[in-house]
Amino acid sequence: MNMKTTDMKLKQLMIVTLACLPAGFSVLAGDGTDTNSSGAVQAAPGNSAEAAEIEALKREVQELGQKVRILEQQRAQEQPTAANTNQDQIQALDQKMRILERQRELDQENATALAKTQPRLTVGANGATFSSADTNFVVSLHGVLQADSRTFFDDNGFKGNDGFILRRARPILSGTVFRDFDFLFVPDFGGNTVQIFDAYVNYRYRPALQFQVGKFKSPIGLEALVTDRNILFNERSLATDLVPNRDLGAELHGDLFGGVASYAAGIFNGAPDYNGTTTNADYDNNKAFAGRVFLQPWKTSEVAALRGLGFGLGGSYEVDRAATNTATGLTPGYTTDGQQKFFSYSSGVFADGTHWRLAPQAYYYWGPLGLLGEYVISDQQVTKGTSSADLHNTAWEVTGSWLLTGEDATYDSVTPEHPFDPRNGQWGAWQVVARYANLDVDKNAFPTFASYSSSASSARAWSVGLNWYLNNNIRVDTSFSRTLFCGYTGGTPAVPAQTENVLFTRVQLAF
Amino acid sequence: MRTLLKILLACSLATAVDAKEIKLLNVSYDPTRELYQDYNAAFTKYWKAKTGDEVVVSQSHGGSGKQALSVLNGLEADVVTLALAYDIDAIARAGFLPADWQKHLPDDSTPYTSTIVFLVRKGNPKHIKDWDDVVKPGVIVVTPNPKTSGGARWAYLAAWAYALDKYGHDDAKARDFVKRLYKNVPVLDSGARGSTTTFVERGIGDVLLAWENEAHLAIKEYGTNKFQIVTPSESILAEPPVAIVDKVVRKHGTTEVAKAYLEYLYSDEGQDIAGRNFYRPRSEKVAAKYADQFAKLKLVTVDEVFGGWQKAQKTHFADGGTFDQIYQPE
Repeated sequence: MNMKTTDMKLKQLMIVTLACLPAGFSVLAGDGTDTNSSGAVQAAPGNSAEAAEIEALKREVQELGQKVRILEQQRAQEQPTAANTNQDQIQALDQKMRILERQRELDQENATALAKTQPRLTVGANGATFSSADTNFVVSLHGVLQADSRTFFDDNGFKGNDGFILRRARPILSGTVFRDFDFLFVPDFGGNTVQIFDAYVNYRYRPALQFQVGKFKSPIGLEALVTDRNILFNERSLATDLVPNRDLGAELHGDLFGGVASYAAGIFNGAPDYNGTTTNADYDNNKAFAGRVFLQPWKTSEVAALRGLGFGLGGSYEVDRAATNTATGLTPGYTTDGQQKFFSYSSGVFADGTHWRLAPQAYYYWGPLGLLGEYVISDQQVTKGTSSADLHNTAWEVTGSWLLTGEDATYDSVTPEHPFDPRNGQWGAWQVVARYANLDVDKNAFPTFASYSSSASSARAWSVGLNWYLNNNIRVDTSFSRTLFCGYTGGTPAVPAQTENVLFTRVQLAF
Repeated sequence: MRTLLKILLACSLATAVDAKEIKLLNVSYDPTRELYQDYNAAFTKYWKAKTGDEVVVSQSHGGSGKQALSVLNGLEADVVTLALAYDIDAIARAGFLPADWQKHLPDDSTPYTSTIVFLVRKGNPKHIKDWDDVVKPGVIVVTPNPKTSGGARWAYLAAWAYALDKYGHDDAKARDFVKRLYKNVPVLDSGARGSTTTFVERGIGDVLLAWENEAHLAIKEYGTNKFQIVTPSESILAEPPVAIVDKVVRKHGTTEVAKAYLEYLYSDEGQDIAGRNFYRPRSEKVAAKYADQFAKLKLVTVDEVFGGWQKAQKTHFADGGTFDQIYQPE
């Protein structure tokens, strides 16, 4: 505004000045010598009034000239000042913008820092997890639900019932306290009894050195150690009949060289050969020692075909004195794939003496191919009255799998490359599986410790199946299993009286 | 089977023993990164020559108050080298080290000192010469948050001490003076390094209230054609202390090496490294060597002017204290 006002004043002044100048000049010219203009006549010397007027005009012109110069000077001064003002304003705006940007930057940093101090809740395919900001405290909720059906063929109604089964219904609570202490608690509401399957605390000093106490799987059988949600068939094979299920005890374990080698060694109450019903207490004073070493020498190899090869050895040793107790210390029976007992010890037989197991084992995974096999010896001294024997029972199995949709097979879970989403043409992962297994009971078990009239001395089974992994949480399986028996001499309706043919289905939810 | 178990046990224990190495964590304040990078290299070499052991020193940096809080919240510092004694006192009160920790090393466990100076832009366009210029309207001042930054607390107290001198120890006027100063502060970073970033890299502000070493570092890095240091007529003698965190070193088994680590700061080499990094060495001999790089000014201490850190903290920086009363973010 000041600039404009100044300009206008200057212009007005210039106009006035210019308008006055001709009159002034003409007067000044008349003040000289000769002229032929009318003006000169009017300004003739001797007229004092005119002379005074001329003087006044001269002064006025001088004053106006002076004003013009002052205004020009003022204008000259005002122009750089205005420029400076603009520059200052730009700088101030620039600073304000930079300050706002920096404050935003700091706000983001503070928000990030704050987020690191806040507890976290995550929910996803792996369940729900609450964790402290530093992840030193974690609680996770998982679950496994398996709704099965079993249909027996050509059994004349004597064997297992056809029907639906709630095989496993397990809420799983796991977590970490004080960074290094992990825990797991797994009750099972499936089957006919509610029981605690896993309940332990594990201290991680480092991956290579961990100490676990509580109830958990004995570190012996390869197939037994596959997590329940990842077994390839509805039921584990005959080979697993000879290894213990969960046991109570303490175990030192760890992974060495980045998982190239792993070990577990512990002391336990001692559990009989596989028993679906586990206990929470010991039945005698003696303890069992169990351990396992497993190697994957080429786990980090650049040769993909070798990376998935692993082999190891599991075993246990204990001295049973069950004869002095009410419990027998023996398996309640070896079962078929259809979970029917085909062998059990006679009444009055007790575990009495050493019981050792040895389980060489291996697996191989390469691309969609998976192979798993193990051989198990369960050598146990038994007694009945004054008779005793050292029974050497053996079993083995080989399982093969192939993912038709190309995913990688692993000892753990299968992750579908294209989770089930028919609207987008995705159908999950499909896998064919096959298994052959065999179990031989020591011939010396008969007839004193077991009866041919109620038990078979051996069983062999083959199974085929198709597994459909809709996604990481839902899985639908179907399989057929055929088990044949030897040695049984009794009649029907005992299980080994005829071949078992059973069709399984399963719908599994696991998270 | 038993033999197998023995082998397994032996293997696991052997693994544990073989993997052992001496590790130290030094939790420090913001502008000491370069100092301790140099110092750690020297100490590692010294310790290797002396004992044959390898020692790996890790550093953690941040606002001094925040760093103290991190230690209290579980950051396992073997040693702390913070900006002011109050922050280590806070750790001591939680039982991590004895209350008299400052008596365990010479010079009240302060192997070097520093002060607060002004870093201004080249040519000093706002003509900042002393604290009076910093509080003038229109001057944009960059300094961190005294709640979280040790350097900021030193700067705040330096301004307050100057105002007390200027106004004949009139607390009300000093308070008004400092209030005017913080009215000129548009951004509060949490630490000194953050404020340096704000001033130097983001181009914000006319003056940075900086640790003396931080100001020299900025000049060293960016050159005198961009910034220049202005030394006020009066400032505060900043005494950043060091201490062993007894509770942690006992757990880590690092007591001996942690003690040596801090003691070596007082050695000729340790003092020389401090001087090279623009800290004022305690050693007179080394201080004389670096005398030219430090301007002479009147330096007051917290004890003299504010009655010690406990009192200063309670009066000025505790929740509801003077700083909370005078600072109102826009």
